[in-house]
Amino acid sequence: MANLQVFLGLLPLLLRGALTALEIALCTLVFASAGGLVLAVSLTFGHSRLIRGAIACFIEWMRNVPALAHLFLIYFGLSYLGINLPAWLAAIVGLSLVGSAVLADIFRSGLQSLHIGQQEAGLAVGLTQLQILRCILLPQALRAALPAFANYVTQLIKDTSIASAIAVPEIMFLARNLVTSTFQTSLIYLAVMVIYAAMILPIGVAFIRLERRLGAAR
Amino acid sequence: MIAFFQQYPEYWNDWISRLLLGARVSAELSLTGFALAAIVGALLVWALKSASPTLKRAAQWFIQGMRAVPLLALLLALYFALPSLGLTLSGYWAGAIGLGLQGSAYIAEILRGGLDSLHRGQREAAIAAGLTPWQAFTSVILPQAIRGMLPPLLNAYVSILKDSSLCALIATDELMLAARAIASETFLPMHIFLLVGLFYFVIAFPLSLLSRALEARFSRGRKSLRG
Repeated sequence: MANLQVFLGLLPLLLRGALTALEIALCTLVFASAGGLVLAVSLTFGHSRLIRGAIACFIEWMRNVPALAHLFLIYFGLSYLGINLPAWLAAIVGLSLVGSAVLADIFRSGLQSLHIGQQEAGLAVGLTQLQILRCILLPQALRAALPAFANYVTQLIKDTSIASAIAVPEIMFLARNLVTSTFQTSLIYLAVMVIYAAMILPIGVAFIRLERRLGAAR
Repeated sequence: MIAFFQQYPEYWNDWISRLLLGARVSAELSLTGFALAAIVGALLVWALKSASPTLKRAAQWFIQGMRAVPLLALLLALYFALPSLGLTLSGYWAGAIGLGLQGSAYIAEILRGGLDSLHRGQREAAIAAGLTPWQAFTSVILPQAIRGMLPPLLNAYVSILKDSSLCALIATDELMLAARAIASETFLPMHIFLLVGLFYFVIAFPLSLLSRALEARFSRGRKSLRG
C-alpha cells in the first residue's frame, strides 16, 4: 500500500506529461495535415516534373528513415548551421515533416481512388480546376482517406513518446525520470501504458463513429 | 556546403566500420522481431478465427492493447521493469520481443485481411472436393491469400526496421546507438545523423519499392486520376 501512496503522488506529474504529449500531437497534426494536403494535391495535379520529383523524393526520404533519426538531425544536427531549436519545437518540426509525408501518401491514394470521370464531369459542366478540387474531389477523397487518417492520428500520439529521446518533458520522459528517482519501475511503466491507451482508444472509437456517420450520409 | 562534405573523408574509415557493425545488428534485430511478430500474429489470427469466444476476445484485447501502447513504453517496460519481476532480458532480446509483440498486432490484421479477402466458396469447394480443412488451407486458401498479404507484410517489415532504431534507447548496440556514440565523440551530429538516415534509407527504400511493385501487379486495370 505504501507503493500506492507514492504512486498517487506521481500521477499528477504523469498526467501533465500526457497533456504535453497531446499538445505536441495536436500541433503536429495541424502542420502535417496542411503539408500533406498541399503535397498530395501538387503531386496529383502538378504540371512541373521537377516539383513532382522533388516532392516524391521528400516523401520517400521521410517515410524510409526512422523518426528518431529526423528528431536527432533537427535537434542536434541543425546546431551545425547555427540553428538551435528548443526541444519541443524540434519535436513538432520533425514529427510534422514525417507526418506530412505520411499524410501526403494517404491523401494521394484517397484522390487516386476516385474515378477519372469525376474530374471530367466537373470540367464538362464548366468548373475551374480549383473548384473541381474543392467541391468534388477533395470531399470524396478525404472521406475515402478517413480510416488511414485515423490510423495516422493514433500512431502520431504514440510517436510523441519518441520526443522523450530529445528531452521533451512529455509523459515518457517524465516517467523515465520518475523511475530513476523512485524505483517504482513496473508501477510507473504500467501507468504510462494505461494513460496512453486512455488517450488513444477513445480517439479510435470517435473515428469509427465519424466514418459510420459519413458512410451513412453517402 | 563543400566544407560540410569535406568532413566525411577525414573520419570515413572509423565511421563506416562502426556503422556497418550497427547496421548488421539492426538488420538481425528487425528480422528477429519480424519473425516473432509473424509467429504471434499467426497465432492471433488462429485465435480470432477459432470457435472459442474466450480465445477470440483475448486476441481482440491483445491486438487493441498493442495498438494503443507506444513501442517505446513497451521496450522500457520489458527492459527495466521485468527484472524487478525476476526476468532479466538483454537489450537485444528486450528489443526483439518488444518489436515482435507490437508488430504482431499489425501482422495479425494483415493476415486476417488477406484471408477474409477470399470468398467463402473457395474453402467450401475445397472441402466438398474431399480435402481436409488443413489441406484446404495450405493448398487452396493460402496460395491465393498470400498474394494480397505480401505487399503489406513488406511494409510491416520496413516499419519494424525503422522502429528498431528505438532500441538504441534501451542500449541495444544497433545502428542508431552507434550513430549517437559517434555524434557525441566528434561533435558532428549533422553529418552522422544524415549518414545514418541514409543507411536506413538504403535498406528500407528498395523494400518499399518492391512492395509497391507487387501491389501494382496484383491490382492492374483500374483507371484513376493521374499520380
